[in-house]
Amino acid sequence: MLREWKEKGYIPPKTMVQLFIKGSFELSKVMLKNFNKLKKVREEHVKYIPPKRMYEIPEYKPGMKVVKSNEKYLRPTLFCNPHAEEIVALANHLGAFEKEPYEYARDVFEFVKRKIILQIVPIDGVVATLRRGYGSCIHKISLFIALCRAAGIKARYKLYALTVIDQWYDTFINVDPLMREWYDAMGYFMLHGEGEAYIDGKWIVADVGPTPERQVASGIPITRFGDDSIGLWADAIPGGIMRTESLPIGMGLLSKMMMSISPGSVARMNNNVINMYEKGKKMLEEMGGEEEYMKRASKGYKLPSMKLERKNIIFE
Amino acid sequence: MIEKEEYIKKLHERLKKFVAPDPTPGEEALYKPVDIYNVPKKEADEYKYKSIKYAFKHHYENNSFYHDYCKENNVIPDDIKSIEDFHKIPLVPDKFFKSYPAGKEFAMWLATLFTGELPDIVIGKNDDHDDIINKFNKAGLVVSYSSGTSGKHTFIPRDKRTFNAAEYAIAKSAVTMVYPEWEYDFNGYLLMPHPFKTNVFAGKVCGVYFDIIKDVKVAMERELSADLIQQAMQTNLKGRVIRYAMQRETRKIIDRIINWLRHHDKKGDRISFIGAPFLLYFVMEKLEKDGEYFNFGKNGAVVTGGGWKIYEDKRLSTEEFRKKVEEILGIPQELCLDLYGMVEGNGWMVQCPEGHYLHVPNTYYHARVIDEDGEDVAYGEKGRFAFLDGLAGSYPGFIISGDEVRMYEKCPVCHRSTPVLEPEVKRVRGSEMRGCAEEMRRVLSMDMGGKDA
Repeated sequence: MLREWKEKGYIPPKTMVQLFIKGSFELSKVMLKNFNKLKKVREEHVKYIPPKRMYEIPEYKPGMKVVKSNEKYLRPTLFCNPHAEEIVALANHLGAFEKEPYEYARDVFEFVKRKIILQIVPIDGVVATLRRGYGSCIHKISLFIALCRAAGIKARYKLYALTVIDQWYDTFINVDPLMREWYDAMGYFMLHGEGEAYIDGKWIVADVGPTPERQVASGIPITRFGDDSIGLWADAIPGGIMRTESLPIGMGLLSKMMMSISPGSVARMNNNVINMYEKGKKMLEEMGGEEEYMKRASKGYKLPSMKLERKNIIFE
Repeated sequence: MIEKEEYIKKLHERLKKFVAPDPTPGEEALYKPVDIYNVPKKEADEYKYKSIKYAFKHHYENNSFYHDYCKENNVIPDDIKSIEDFHKIPLVPDKFFKSYPAGKEFAMWLATLFTGELPDIVIGKNDDHDDIINKFNKAGLVVSYSSGTSGKHTFIPRDKRTFNAAEYAIAKSAVTMVYPEWEYDFNGYLLMPHPFKTNVFAGKVCGVYFDIIKDVKVAMERELSADLIQQAMQTNLKGRVIRYAMQRETRKIIDRIINWLRHHDKKGDRISFIGAPFLLYFVMEKLEKDGEYFNFGKNGAVVTGGGWKIYEDKRLSTEEFRKKVEEILGIPQELCLDLYGMVEGNGWMVQCPEGHYLHVPNTYYHARVIDEDGEDVAYGEKGRFAFLDGLAGSYPGFIISGDEVRMYEKCPVCHRSTPVLEPEVKRVRGSEMRGCAEEMRRVLSMDMGGKDA
């Protein structure tokens, strides 16, 4: 069993363990240092109304097509069951087995990116996320992966620790003194990620985390299927990118524990995300839609792409 | 008073080792003019067109990633027929220079960024950034870096020739602006990391200070690695320990500088400071606290650079700083000048003594101020600073910075012919805080006397 766990990625990779140890250590320090502040923050009640689900879940009908494979990147993994009825129904609804794989994966990407609102909640399964209509970036990636796997498209996680642009720092970190101190102590945000789908011999990145409205509110281009968030609104800590088939064991519990430390801080972050979403929505309405926004955004500064060359470098 | 031609000739003699025997048009445009801030427009434009066109063609032909980037933008060297076509040259955002991969691919990234061929460089399995840079540098390159608040460095692969040009340019720029005050007999204090013990660009490029004056003391003698800076910028335990040690060191530095001032004041020597303003600010704060004042007058000069953050929560204006220098050290405000440059470029904007506007060299360097669409804004309007650098031979020096500036066609105060930038340069919203002084300030944990102390 241990071998299977290891192979599936249930045992966290070394980098992740290091990140969690460092994160927990720094968090403990911040908590000890700010014991009274923490007590006050915990007692504080922050009004929070979760966003409403934006869609109806399609009905499952027996006999709906689904790929049930035990192959790596296609099989169910922790918090990501592609065989669940709700997932199968949605996959079929989105055009699995009818559309070309790229087209289908792109539509899945659009669905998850646009319809699932980002909110910080403890890690749970894809069906819960789908029923709720909101979840963290990790929830959104899991849903993207499950929908891809259900249609026979291999998919995996790309996780990393990151630093973010100012506007996102203000939304997630600057809202709460404890959060800020924690982030500043670490020098980066502990975990974020994207999904990756394997199509035509290539892994294609899917930045499903931010809704277009939030990207508009931050003044950055709306990421399409295949666009990376790294270099756009985030920088990965060098050497910290982990590509895994599954989320590791213990992540659910850990996320629950972390969020119970200061529920008020989490509520503040979530409220800020909703405000940002509303702001971006209004901006899009005012400027005449996403196309116009992208036209303006694409006029900005693009980073050149670079195909690495070895030249005369010799690796030992 | 010494003639300007003679003055610059004397400087050129001191800088001979930095002069390329077979100058490119960019290098010629740096060496030849007597006063690089006062070349008649027609002549300056001729120099500039040749320099930039040559550099563009060179990178287009010898740098694969820039060649592809030009193809994407549908531009070839033949499209550049006059200065009016310079806006067609594709600009690389400064962020690009910090979008490097981790591990051994970092070495390939540097190699790809580099224009032209490289000598053999052997990279070990466990080499970190510092090891890789040092191996490139041992092979004859001068890879240097600067860092921002995210802790991610900006790496620039200069070859020796480009680095020599950068050193020549910074010396000529500063010395030209303080005409006729420079002389070899000055004693200097470098308020930067030791040029020969660091790969931090701002420190390294000041190595030329040792060539143009007879005696130089360095504030930060210890070796400053990329890793150390990164660790010191974090607020975790390790970062705090490093900064605590640095803080102690900084107090010693301040005492050493004060003793040095006393010594030269007594002897009536000429002195100069070059480097990060915050360090001199703390020296002056201590002197003021102790009621100790000097009167160096024209026997002193100060050239600052790298940003004006003094404490975490305090940014000083260049004007306040000059007044303090005059009040505490007795050095007149016209000999207290700020210099603006960046790790990605080899052009140096120096304040004029008369109005303290930052003058942009215009023989080998073409400055642009652009809006968020990449279009040039009118003179006097705020925008992002961008430039085309005719001295960058080893990487495409056509860059969009993260700095917000206003440019004017002429200096509102002095007679010099170059365009000018307003003295206060700020970072564009969304860009991280940067600047060599900010980098050093963070490492040295400079909130020694501030309210956060």
